[in-house]
Amino acid sequence: MPSRSLSYTRRWATGRTDRRVERSLGALAVVVLVFIVAILATVLVKAWPSFSHNGLSWFGPGGNVDTQIRAMAESKPLPGHSIYYFRAWPLIWGTLLTTIFAVLIALVVSILAAIFLTEFAPPPVRRMLDPVIRLLAGVPSVIYGLIGILVIASYIEHHVISEARKASVAYVVQLNGKDVMTATLILTLMILPIMVAITANAMAAVPLSWREGSLALGVNRWRTIWRVSLRTARPAIVAATILATARALGEAVMLAMVSGGRGFAPNLLDGITALFEPVRPLAATIFENSEGLTIPALAHTVYAIGAVLLVSAALLSLSGWASKQRLKRYGIRA
Amino acid sequence: MRVHRTLTHRTVIVSAVLALALAAPASAVASKRLIIDGSTAMLPLVQKLATAYHKAFPKIPAPKVGGGQTDIGINDVASGRVDIGDASRDPIVGQDPEGLVWSKVARDGICVITNTANPLPNLTQETVQGIFTGDIRSWSQVPGSSLTGPIDLFDREAVSGTQDAFQDIFLGETLKISPSATQESSEGLEVNAVGADKSAIGFTSFAATLNGGVHTVDYQGIPCTLANAKSGQYGGVRNFWMVTKGDPKGEAAKFIDWVTKPGNLTVRKIVSSEWIAIH
Repeated sequence: MPSRSLSYTRRWATGRTDRRVERSLGALAVVVLVFIVAILATVLVKAWPSFSHNGLSWFGPGGNVDTQIRAMAESKPLPGHSIYYFRAWPLIWGTLLTTIFAVLIALVVSILAAIFLTEFAPPPVRRMLDPVIRLLAGVPSVIYGLIGILVIASYIEHHVISEARKASVAYVVQLNGKDVMTATLILTLMILPIMVAITANAMAAVPLSWREGSLALGVNRWRTIWRVSLRTARPAIVAATILATARALGEAVMLAMVSGGRGFAPNLLDGITALFEPVRPLAATIFENSEGLTIPALAHTVYAIGAVLLVSAALLSLSGWASKQRLKRYGIRA
Repeated sequence: MRVHRTLTHRTVIVSAVLALALAAPASAVASKRLIIDGSTAMLPLVQKLATAYHKAFPKIPAPKVGGGQTDIGINDVASGRVDIGDASRDPIVGQDPEGLVWSKVARDGICVITNTANPLPNLTQETVQGIFTGDIRSWSQVPGSSLTGPIDLFDREAVSGTQDAFQDIFLGETLKISPSATQESSEGLEVNAVGADKSAIGFTSFAATLNGGVHTVDYQGIPCTLANAKSGQYGGVRNFWMVTKGDPKGEAAKFIDWVTKPGNLTVRKIVSSEWIAIH
């Protein structure tokens, strides 16, 4: 019976290690979950005073948001208001403008780039471009910020914004190249590589037989790309867009450097001039005021901004998941 | 079954040990730790000093430093809530609580800067106030300027100590910087922005002007240099104080003595990185 007992021991031993691995992996997963819940709870609890003092008008317009932040930093409430008085609309509007513009531009460019990469690029070109795109996706955002401030912002200030345009709004806001336009351009540059990489991967995974089938039916190449490849890759395109939007929403350092550093809400009815007006998105506001975390009112406000970002990131991934459910039926999985 | 039980036991023991290990240092440090609060403008300096102090005397826990406002620090130290209050303004007789001792630890100075293409010779307090509050909007209204056209104002973010110093020294209690000014989030970005825009004006600490790239403007006829700031001639300077209830005692005395001791190179190096040393 020695052989039987040996195999028994071995099985017993592997069973034990298996169980150990299973348990430690389970513990790790639980830790991640606990961590997320803890972060959410902390942020919401610390944010509560700011929301409860302002109610829903927290999200609305009213007064100058920079003056309100300054009042909190100096612990001197504005006349007639509580120290918590805060109207975040200019910051929210700045976030919406930069994020939506950047994601829209990046969506169009990334789809076209992915089509080129998978359908037209000769193999040597693709072999060269693939790692370059991956590298671009990994560049830290501070670097983009530096390029933005040293190259793009000063170019826009000196060669794009005319003196007449500057003078036309000089009494309301000063234009100096750090604006919606610069922020959007750099944000686009920053999120583009991920979007191209994910979309191109998905398009390359479309079964060859589907495309051949379409071509065999006499459909031309462009229509095949449009109706077969792209359509199948839709879940991946949604995933890429969600990922890119989340990154754009959460970007703080780069935007603090190039967006203009003023809680100003550009009026789109001003036309082109609105694009040259400064904004300061939510995440950049957190970054700039992190030094003031020891001041209670300001700290609660900063946490409230964080809570808004956290909840919108959660909603974003939820809506991405929901829209993918429908698309999955027709597409390949991504 | 047996294996299962031992594993569970071990898990319990390990987590208990971990919990103890995490809880222990917290209770060990709780005794005799200096508590400091007050001026937010002094916060970065005092934090750096506290860290260096703990490094120099590893057995003494690093002081716990908070911010808020000069007046909060003064009231807290008077009521005994904290050991040291940081004050970035001079004492006001009659307004501040009685029985406080003020020890000067450093000075804080501000230079007004313009683009090198606009080497403004001098600014009076009135002109500085006019420009930064937005009353003067064009360079043609500024005496001594060769430029015309709108002035580009550069400010710092609300929580910046440099912003607080500028507001305090040049504008006083009632005036405010025009909200149309662009806020830069660091000294480097401020100098860079003024250096890149010929119609710009801004302000920085002394240390940030040393590397050039911008023009430093004389204030009330006195050049903005370290020597003039130390001699007291230059007007754009304020004092940093550490306030105690009565003469500093015990741990507070040790810390303040270490900070103010002439010839303490560690302190001098920290202070002169952004501020002005007193010795």
